[in-house]
Amino acid sequence: MSKNKSGLWSFFSSVQLAIVLLSLIAFFALIGTIVPQREAAVELAGRISPGLFSFLQKMQLFDLYHSIWFFLLLGLLSVNLLICSLDRFPLAWRRFRSQAEPQKADAVKDLPAENTFQSALNIQKVADAAANLLKKRYHNVAQANEENSVFLSAQKGRFSFFGVYIVHLSILVLIAGAIIGSVFGTEGHINITEGETAGSFNLRSNNQSLPLPFSVRCDKFIVELYENGAPKNFQSDLTFIKDDKVVHSGKLRVNHPIEVEGFRFYQSSYGVSPEGKATLTLLRDGGRRDVINVAKGYAFDLPGKEGTFQVLRVEENLMKMGPAIKVSVRSNKGEVTFWVFQQLDKIKEANPGITEQIPMFNPSLFRPYTFTLLGLEEKYYTGLQVTRDPGTLVVGAAAVLLILGLLLMLFSYPRQVWVKIDRQQDKALISVGGRSHRNKAGLERELQHLLAEIKDRLENSK
Amino acid sequence: MINTTILSWVTFIYFAAFVFYLFRMVLGREFWGKIATSTALIGLIAQSVALVIRWKTSYDLGMGHAPLSNFYESLIFFAWTIVFLYLLMEQRLKNRSIGVFVIPVAFLIMAYASIAPGISNRIDPLIPALQSNWLTSHVLTCFMGYAAFTVAFALGIMFFVKKMSAADKNKSPAFFRLLPAESMLDELMYQSATLGFVFLTMGIITGSVWAHYAWGSYWSWDPKETWSLITWLIYALMLHARNVRGWRGKRMALMTIFGFGCVLFTYLGVNLLPSLHSYMN
Repeated sequence: MSKNKSGLWSFFSSVQLAIVLLSLIAFFALIGTIVPQREAAVELAGRISPGLFSFLQKMQLFDLYHSIWFFLLLGLLSVNLLICSLDRFPLAWRRFRSQAEPQKADAVKDLPAENTFQSALNIQKVADAAANLLKKRYHNVAQANEENSVFLSAQKGRFSFFGVYIVHLSILVLIAGAIIGSVFGTEGHINITEGETAGSFNLRSNNQSLPLPFSVRCDKFIVELYENGAPKNFQSDLTFIKDDKVVHSGKLRVNHPIEVEGFRFYQSSYGVSPEGKATLTLLRDGGRRDVINVAKGYAFDLPGKEGTFQVLRVEENLMKMGPAIKVSVRSNKGEVTFWVFQQLDKIKEANPGITEQIPMFNPSLFRPYTFTLLGLEEKYYTGLQVTRDPGTLVVGAAAVLLILGLLLMLFSYPRQVWVKIDRQQDKALISVGGRSHRNKAGLERELQHLLAEIKDRLENSK
Repeated sequence: MINTTILSWVTFIYFAAFVFYLFRMVLGREFWGKIATSTALIGLIAQSVALVIRWKTSYDLGMGHAPLSNFYESLIFFAWTIVFLYLLMEQRLKNRSIGVFVIPVAFLIMAYASIAPGISNRIDPLIPALQSNWLTSHVLTCFMGYAAFTVAFALGIMFFVKKMSAADKNKSPAFFRLLPAESMLDELMYQSATLGFVFLTMGIITGSVWAHYAWGSYWSWDPKETWSLITWLIYALMLHARNVRGWRGKRMALMTIFGFGCVLFTYLGVNLLPSLHSYMN
């Protein structure tokens, strides 16, 4: 293969390409954090000309991370990564296979003085001690005896040749997992009021409704608050029903999703449901007092047949003035609408004369009645995030591979070491040398350490 | 609170350590170096104690979370990891010259945490999404990464200082003589950046796992996520450029500075963009 590499192969096996692609992806990612994306882009539409907006939209600038450009870059990077790795792997494989052999002891030639020392022991004893030590610290220890010298060789960390390939593989698996997710996955949201059931959810991408293969009932919703009003904990009791049978039920808490038939449900938000009921009193001048429960849209005839009363809105906190409902009374004199506040006394105290200045705030606007809001019955809805992503497992596997590969590269490096013992009259001259492609400084330290250890052993065996 | 009192003292201790490192470099006497190391170590121990007290206090207040949850705490922890990593490195290399460039960064971060307006040093209760065991591992790994990148950045600055002094051979005061050789700075930059890269990778992965549990998606292109990816890509590029293209010295030093810019933007600049990770809301 190395002889007739095509132009395309050498293009994709170049690291320059990788560097260019990494820069481009980084640049695209950066653009996406400046230009508003997806939902946020709508706001931009009002500020630039419609022509420009629709052009940019066609260029997929508002969904950059799912655009054809981004996929193209990821595709190119994948091919680059694959070809680069295939191109270089044979060399790594040869290095992995190459044994440190005693005969190939170039590394112990012309060593600096600090890599050698003399011992008074005889050559065979020194060789035994050194061989024992090497067997303890290294792999594949081999020995060759010559007339006046002994050569020992050993190696370590061979597997870390593969570290970089494991990392590259993990990135490919990661991209594959992400593509699986974006093709086969869905993501959306549902709000369910306490006590109600939902059978579909709204997609995040286009806000369309998608049916679920089962229905979800929110039996109960609980929120606990800290003293400062921030939420401490919120959770929903959910029941999942399929064909009138309960398939699953449980408490859904933040950080603890529930998975049903491949759909994962997350507790993501909550709020007060607009379907809450209000309790109202009607006081007729010099007459009767009625207490009634009303909800939005609710209508009835007033007790004295003066008109038709209807609830237009229910607000838990209108303009920071507390609970209020907006009502209308239609009679033969026309229609009047006004707000009925729960904390009217407080509002009047803070703003004297307000009901005269703003008739809409006057609960006695329709004579001869005075309305009072006793309170709202708060009903919460639970906000659920719904996702289905079959790529998650693949991405998880990629993450494990990625960390494994990086650790293999960081905490280990391949090296071969040689120990040569020469006879010098009745003494022995010990030389220690080594070879490493990746970490020369580390090897130098290790050799000094090895040298000291051999010295130590020889002295102790005296 | 006692912990914030200790932490404001630690700020001064780090400043003192910086001054002692500077004395050593200017006067060329190892005596000052030893004092500087001891001072930095005392600062680190005091800071650790303060963090433990703060942790315990949060339990006493009924919140019970590691002191890694708001902007103030993240700044304090950032400074802690920088000093921790630096002292480890000093111990291993037996070289104190790097301290004069690294310790002031830790000091500045501590000072910023104490005096910048709008940074609350209160212990706040955690909102439900933050109540997760992944919080600790995510923040720990991210900040170890940030700290390693900070050290690499300091080494990059040192590289240029050394290069400037080498160009001007006539005068070589102790300060420049004591700086490590260019080749050694290059090697150290590479090692720090590699360490940072591995920690950042783990930080992104732990964050993804957490997001998978909390937000329903392991990756949602939140600006902070995107910027951490950009930072990751920049350092990936740097490591490839060195290992395969043979970039050394000046180019690597430039990359450490550029990469650190990305780290800072990931950490602080992102707060200007709308984000789930925003510290300021």
